[in-house]
Amino acid sequence: MDKKKLGKQLAVIALLIVMFAGLDLAIYQLFIKKVISHHSPGMQKMSVEVGNYVPFSGSENIYSVEGAERLEGDIPTIDGAAALLPVYAGFVESIYPEDSVIYNGEDYDPSSAMHYTNTRGAYKDIVDGNADIIICAQPSDEQLAYAAENGVELEMVQIGSDAFVFIVNANNPVDDITVDQIRGIYSGQITNWSELGGRNIHIAAMRRNEGSGSQTALEKLMGDMPIVPDYSALTGSPIGFSFRYYVTGMLAEGGVKILKINGIEPTRETIADGSYPVSGGLYAVYRKGETNGNVYKAVDFMLSPEGQKIVEESGYIPVR
Amino acid sequence: MKDKTFVIILAVIMAVGVAATTALLIHGYSLWKEISIVEMIANWGY
Repeated sequence: MDKKKLGKQLAVIALLIVMFAGLDLAIYQLFIKKVISHHSPGMQKMSVEVGNYVPFSGSENIYSVEGAERLEGDIPTIDGAAALLPVYAGFVESIYPEDSVIYNGEDYDPSSAMHYTNTRGAYKDIVDGNADIIICAQPSDEQLAYAAENGVELEMVQIGSDAFVFIVNANNPVDDITVDQIRGIYSGQITNWSELGGRNIHIAAMRRNEGSGSQTALEKLMGDMPIVPDYSALTGSPIGFSFRYYVTGMLAEGGVKILKINGIEPTRETIADGSYPVSGGLYAVYRKGETNGNVYKAVDFMLSPEGQKIVEESGYIPVR
Repeated sequence: MKDKTFVIILAVIMAVGVAATTALLIHGYSLWKEISIVEMIANWGY
């Protein structure tokens, strides 16, 4: 037996085992354990779960009004952004016929007049004709281009608004940030929390899926500045973004905080009076030239005092 | 150790290693899809 050869073979085997063990340990420690392993039951409870907002199910999570005129005849299919489910569930429960909503316990039936996808799915569905009204934030350039390619023009009626907020870990000493600093972070010009008054820690600038409502809001905030991906930040401390409604319900669980922007806190008052600098509209979107009169009746209801009350009671800022 | 035995051992280690890494990545990806941005930032720390 060649002992030298055997030694080399054993060394190769050991090296391979150590390499895989090191790789898996690094994935677990850096990515899974550090960032995504801990679900908080409290936060899960606060997030928007489809089963908690099924119209006509007696759900206490939905605010709806009684006595409004219900739609008859050709019932428009409604869909929207995930975070706006409480709003359009309230509209549906108020003015849609009960038998037009079919929920199978996990999702809405394709024949149901109410669907639940997300911003990306909803914009695709309205262009493709699978939805007649969607309740969403503004479309991205890609979503508008998709509509144009398919010869569809979208009408957008603002029915409410909400703040676009930036969140950091609760232990981060930075409380306030400016719009220019946000642009600096997401364009890669500001890379360390020490540049914003924090400790010498890398900034992990989190992004969202392309076409999501919040990623589109960031793109609009950035204007002509490119968003530069940062793949080196896993060891840093994060900044992320969302809409105020989605975050507020989870704040009580601790762990994160919303940053003031230009010294202004996003409250109902500062969003309504426009002093909070990055508010975003919520829109009822339908196809231009829509011939189904019920689409216009539904949008009129959304703008009525009853509809606006639903917007407000669902956690957003009404426009009227 | 015979060359054939050595190759078999390497193949087994590779197969187990790739399977474990793939499973870990799939598990991580499914968590990543489920978790909210708020939880992620809370977990991530400062």
